[in-house]
Amino acid sequence: SPPRYSKVKHLLKDLDQLMEAVLERIVAPEQPLSNATRTLNFTLWNHTPLVLIDERNPHHPVVLDLFADNHNVSASGSPAPGRACNAQQCKVAMRLCCRNGTVCTFRKFISATQAVTEWYTLQATNIFSQVPTQELVKMGYSGEQLILACLFGAEPCSYSGARVHLGQVIHPPLRFVHLWSLGLPAAASAPPPTGLKLILDLGQEDYVPFLTSTAGARLLLHEQRSYPFVKEEGIYAMSGTETSIGVLVDKLERKGKPYSQCTVNGSDVPIRNLYSDYNTTLYYQCEACIRSCFQDHMIQNCSCGHYLYPLPRGQKFCNNQEFPDWVYCYSQLRQSLGQRETCIRMCKESCNDTQYKMTISMADWPSEASEDWIFHVLSQERDQSTNITLSRKGIVKLNIYFQEFNYRTIEESAANNIVWLLSNLGGQFGFWMGGSVLCLIEFAEIVIDFLWITVIRLVAFCKSLRQRRAQARYAGPPPTVAELVEAHTNFAFQPDTANPGAYPDEQTLPIPGTPPPNYDSLRLQPLDVIESDSEGDAI
Amino acid sequence: MAPGEKIKAKIKKNLPVRGPQAPTIKELMRWYCLKTNTHGCRRIVVSRGRLRRLLWIVCELMADSEVAPWVVSCFSHLSPVSFFCVLGLSRQQLHLFLPSTDSRRIRGQGQGQVCQVELEPAPGYTLTYQWLVDGRHLQSPLQKCWFRQTHQHTPRASRQWWQRYSAVKPLLADLEQETRAALKTLYGFSEIESRKRREAEPGSSAWEGPQPKFLHLIPLMVFNEGETSKATDFLTGQKRKVSGSIIHKAADVMHVQESKEVVGFQLCSNGTSQCAVYTFSSGVNAIQEWYKLHYMNIMAQVPLEKKINMSYSAEELLVTCFFDGVSCDARNFTLFHHPMYGNCYTFNDKENEIHSTSMGGSEYGLQVILYINEEEYNPFLVSSTGAKVIVHRQDEYPFIEDVGTEIETAMATSIGMHLTESFKLGEPYSQCTEDGSDVPIENIYNAAYSLQICLHSCFQTKMVERCGCAQYSQPLPPAANYCNYQQHPNWMYCYYELHQAFVQEKLGCQSVCREACSFKEWTLTTSLAQWPSVVSEKWLLRVLTWDQGQQIKKKLNKTDLAKLLIFYKDLNQRSIMESPANSVEMLLSNFGGQLGLWMSCSIVCIIEIIEVFFIDSLSIIARQQWQRAKKWWSQRQALACPEAPSSLQGQDNPVLDIDDDLPTFTSALRLPPAPEAQVPGTPPPRYNTLRLERAFSNQLTDTQVPAES
Repeated sequence: SPPRYSKVKHLLKDLDQLMEAVLERIVAPEQPLSNATRTLNFTLWNHTPLVLIDERNPHHPVVLDLFADNHNVSASGSPAPGRACNAQQCKVAMRLCCRNGTVCTFRKFISATQAVTEWYTLQATNIFSQVPTQELVKMGYSGEQLILACLFGAEPCSYSGARVHLGQVIHPPLRFVHLWSLGLPAAASAPPPTGLKLILDLGQEDYVPFLTSTAGARLLLHEQRSYPFVKEEGIYAMSGTETSIGVLVDKLERKGKPYSQCTVNGSDVPIRNLYSDYNTTLYYQCEACIRSCFQDHMIQNCSCGHYLYPLPRGQKFCNNQEFPDWVYCYSQLRQSLGQRETCIRMCKESCNDTQYKMTISMADWPSEASEDWIFHVLSQERDQSTNITLSRKGIVKLNIYFQEFNYRTIEESAANNIVWLLSNLGGQFGFWMGGSVLCLIEFAEIVIDFLWITVIRLVAFCKSLRQRRAQARYAGPPPTVAELVEAHTNFAFQPDTANPGAYPDEQTLPIPGTPPPNYDSLRLQPLDVIESDSEGDAI
Repeated sequence: MAPGEKIKAKIKKNLPVRGPQAPTIKELMRWYCLKTNTHGCRRIVVSRGRLRRLLWIVCELMADSEVAPWVVSCFSHLSPVSFFCVLGLSRQQLHLFLPSTDSRRIRGQGQGQVCQVELEPAPGYTLTYQWLVDGRHLQSPLQKCWFRQTHQHTPRASRQWWQRYSAVKPLLADLEQETRAALKTLYGFSEIESRKRREAEPGSSAWEGPQPKFLHLIPLMVFNEGETSKATDFLTGQKRKVSGSIIHKAADVMHVQESKEVVGFQLCSNGTSQCAVYTFSSGVNAIQEWYKLHYMNIMAQVPLEKKINMSYSAEELLVTCFFDGVSCDARNFTLFHHPMYGNCYTFNDKENEIHSTSMGGSEYGLQVILYINEEEYNPFLVSSTGAKVIVHRQDEYPFIEDVGTEIETAMATSIGMHLTESFKLGEPYSQCTEDGSDVPIENIYNAAYSLQICLHSCFQTKMVERCGCAQYSQPLPPAANYCNYQQHPNWMYCYYELHQAFVQEKLGCQSVCREACSFKEWTLTTSLAQWPSVVSEKWLLRVLTWDQGQQIKKKLNKTDLAKLLIFYKDLNQRSIMESPANSVEMLLSNFGGQLGLWMSCSIVCIIEIIEVFFIDSLSIIARQQWQRAKKWWSQRQALACPEAPSSLQGQDNPVLDIDDDLPTFTSALRLPPAPEAQVPGTPPPRYNTLRLERAFSNQLTDTQVPAES
C-alpha cells in the first residue's frame, strides 16, 4: 500500500503545489501566471526543471521554460513564438544538469503524462530520502489497519495470530513504505486448510495523487526466506471485487557446475547482497543481486545510494542538497545498457527456484444484497461508527488457495554421464566385436611389441651394417664368401671339397641294405580326437 | 607344398570341424556346446556329475531369460523403421558410427542443462521436459535476438474493432436503417418508441423509405417452434412455406427453454432455387450474423486504402507509450489491417526497430494507455467495448477473431508473460511438419506455417473453387476477388453450405493439414486494477487530454482510456522437447551390454545360433531323412531283386581301401633290389596305426574329406 496522503501531506506540500502549477502551465499556457504561482517554493523546481521543447521547426528546436515569466532561460534567447503549442508540436522534457548547471541534457518524453510522473517521482524520492525510515513506516498503514478480516482455513487469523505469521517487513522503497508478508505455515496441518481469505482496506482516498494512478492491492507469493519484489512481480487485485487466486507450485532445481552457471547461496557471486537484512543471508535471489549491483554502481558513480534500493553501511541516500548532481547521474546510469549488462553478467541465476502459477478470477463483491450489512459490520469494526464509512472502491476480498496439495518438482539430471558413456561404449564394442577393455589392452600390447621388435630389428640391422663396414676395411682383395663362411658353421651342408680324405671312399664300400625302419617310433597312441586329427593331416 | 597352401592347411588343421558335418543333432549340440563363443555352454558338457551339470543348465537358462524379455521390449519400443536399420547395419558401418556417438555423448555432457522428465510413455518415444532455464545467462548475449522473436505483442484493435463508425456510416446507412426497421418489426421497439407487442403491429407500416434491398436479398424470418416448415416473413407479414433444409445454428441444449419463436434467415441460390434456412436460438445472434453478412458484402467493394483511412491511426489510438523506461510512440507500431477488425497495430514488428529488454518485471515491459472511443462503435457489429491484445511470434499471423486477451476500459490490465517453446519430433514419430512445404495446401498468408493458417487457407481455396470468390475476412488467394452481391449473387448460400461442410470435416482440410513441429506459446497471467484511482483521476485526465491534443477535440473520459502493461514475469524460458526414448545406437549398445553381461557374447553368438540351430540342424535333419528315404528305397530295390550286392562293404575303411600292396620303402625309393636274399625284407608296416582317426566315428559318404594328395 502506498503511504497515506494524510500523513505525508506536510512533506509533499511544496511539491504538490508546484505540480499543480506545472500542470496548469502545460495544459493552459495562455493564461497569465496567477499570484499563487509566484508564492511557490522554487528550490525544488530550480534543481530539475521541466521544459517544453517546441519542435515546430525541426531544425531549430526551441526550449521554453514553463515559468518563463519568472526565469527566462530559453536557450534560443528569442521570445517564445506563440505559446499555444499542442502535444504533437511541443514535447515536455526534463532538464538534467550537473556541475552547477554547466553541463545540461534534456530528457525528452513523448507524453506529458510520463514526464510529470517521472518528475514527481524523482522529487518525491528526494524528499522521502531525508526522512528516517521509522517515521515513514508510521506514515503508512499498519497491519491492523490494512487487514480488515482474515481467515486461514477455518480459523481466524490476526496480526498476532499463532498459526499465520503476519510479519512486518520494513523497507525503504517509496511506494511501499511497508509491506505485509503473510507467511503461511507449511501446509502440513492434518485437515488441509481451504486457503487464506482476506479483506483488505485499500483506502483509495488516501493515496498520494501524483505518485500512483492505479488503485488496488498488489500482492505477491514468494518463499518465506526471499525478499518480495512487489512492484516488479506482483499482481493486481481490483477493489470492489472478490479475487480468487488459485496457486500451483513448481519447484525448479538446476544442476550447478559444469552444466550451468547457477549458484546455490550466492557465495560465489562477486556482489554483496544488500537485501540480506530482509532475507536470510544464505538465500540467493537473482533480482536482489541485480538491484544490489545497481546500487553499487550508483554509489561508485554518484557517491550516494538511490532511495529505492537498500543502503550499504556508511553510505547516504541521494538528495538534492548534498548531492546536487544525483538526478543527472542517476538517469545516465539508468539509461546505460552497459551497466545493466555488467550486472546481469555478474549475477548468476539461482539453482533453486520456486515458481507460482496463478489462476486469477474475479467477481463483484460485495453483492448488492449483502453490501449493506457487510459495510455496516466492517465500518463498525474499523471506525466504531454506525454509519457506513467504507465504499466499494476501498475494499477488496482475496481468496488465496492451493489448487493442489502437492507441488511439482522439476529437476535437472544429466542426459549423459561418464558411466553411461562407458556402458554404451562397452555395449557397442562388445556387441559388434565381442571385445572388451582387455582386447584393447591386448591390442596395445601388440602394438608395443611390434614397435619393440622393430626397434630390435633396426638395432640388429644397424649392427650388421656396422660389421659390414668393418669388414670392408680389409686390406687387399676382399675375402670370398666361402672363406668367410668357412670360419663359421656350414649351414648349407656344402660338400667339403677341401679335404676329401675325411670320409672313406664310397666306391670301395658295398652298398648297405636299408635298415628296417623302426615303425614303432611312429606309432602314436591316439590321445584324443584332435591329436589324431592332426596326425591324420600330417600324412 | 607351396607356402600359401601350407598356411591354409595349418588353419584348416586348427579350425574345429564345422557344424553341418555332424551326423546327428546330438553330435551337433555337443560340438556347439564345446565350440561356441557363448560362455557357460562348455561347462554343461564338461561338468562331471549330474548336480553340477544341472546347476550350469539352470544358470545358462537364467541368463538367457534375463536377456530375452529385454530384447523383446527393446524391439517393441523401436518403431519398425529403425528396427530394420538395426539389421541392416554391418560391421563396417560401426567404425564410422562409433566415434560420432562418442563425441555426441561428450558434447551432450558439456551442455548438460538438460533435465528430463518423462511425461507420457508413448510407445515410440517419451516427452521430455527440457528446461533451458538459462535465465539471463543465455539471454544476456542472445538477449536481442531472443527478445526479437518473443516480445512482440500486438496491442491490436482498440475500438479498432471494426472501423470508425462515423467514417463508415455513409456506406452502411441503408443497412443500418433496415436493421433498425427489422428490429422494430421483430421486437416492436425503436429508439424513439417504447416497447410494443409485435402482434399488435405486424410490421406493414414500418417502411417509409425506399424498398428494402437487404431484407429482400436475405429475408429475416420468424419461425414457430412446432411447425418448422412455416415461417412468417415479417416484411410482408405473411406466412409462407419454406422449402429446403432448416439448419439450426443453435445447439440442441438450447431447446430446453420454451421459446415459441425462433428468428432466422433464409439463403437461396438463384440458379437452382435451393434454399437453406438458418435459425438461431436468440434474435441477437440472428441479427448480428445477418448484419455481418451484409457488412462483409459492402466492405468487400471498398478499396484497402480507403478502409485504412476509415479506421483509427496509431497516433489516435496510443495516448502514451513507454517501453523499458524509454518513451515510444506511434512510429514503433506497424499497421496491420484486418478485414473485420480494421486497423491493428503491432509493436516490435519485424519491419520496425526491435525493442528488447534484459529484465523481467512490470517496469521493464511495455506500458501503454489506449484511447478507446465508445461512441464510435458500430452498434450491430460489436456489442462489447475494449481492446484486444495478442502476443505472437513475428512471423506468425495473428488470428484476432480466435485468440487474444480482452482489455477493459477504465482499468489497468497487467499481463505477465511466460514463454514456452515446444518442439515435436517429426517423422517417423509424428505427422508434424517443419515449415508446411510438404503440406499440399498453399499458404495464402504472408506468415509462417501453422495448423490454423493451413485450415483457413484450405477453406479459402475451396471457397474460390466452389463459389468463385473469396471470403472477406481472410486474405485473397492469387487471382481471386472478394465476394460481393453484384458479381457473385449466390455467394452467401455457397459460403454457408461450404462452411457447414467444413465444420463437418467433409472438405478434407482437417485430414490434409498437419500440425507444426515447433511452436511458441505465451502463458499470460492477467490481473486488473482500477485505473485511474479516485484521487489521481482529475489531473491525469487533464494531462492526457493535452497529450492527445488535436486528435480528439473533446475532453477525455476515463471510460475512453485503458492502461495496459505487458511484461515478462521472469526471463526464464521453458522448452518442451521430444526426444526418442530409444535411438538405434542406444538400442544396439544396450543390447550388446546385456548380451555381454549375461552371456558374454557378441553378434557372432547370434550368427552362430542362427547357423547352428536353424541352418545346420535343419540340414542334418534333412540329410537324415534323405538317408532314411534312400535306405528304404534301396531296401525296396533289394526286395525286388535280392541278388544286388550290398554296398556296405567299404564302410569300415573308406579311405584306405587297399586293393594291392602299398609300395615298400625300397620300391618307393627305386633302389636296386638287394643282391643277396639274406638281407631281411621289410616287414609290412602296421597300417592300423596310421589310419585316420575321424572326428566322428562313422563318416557319411557325402561329407567325406577329400583324400590327401
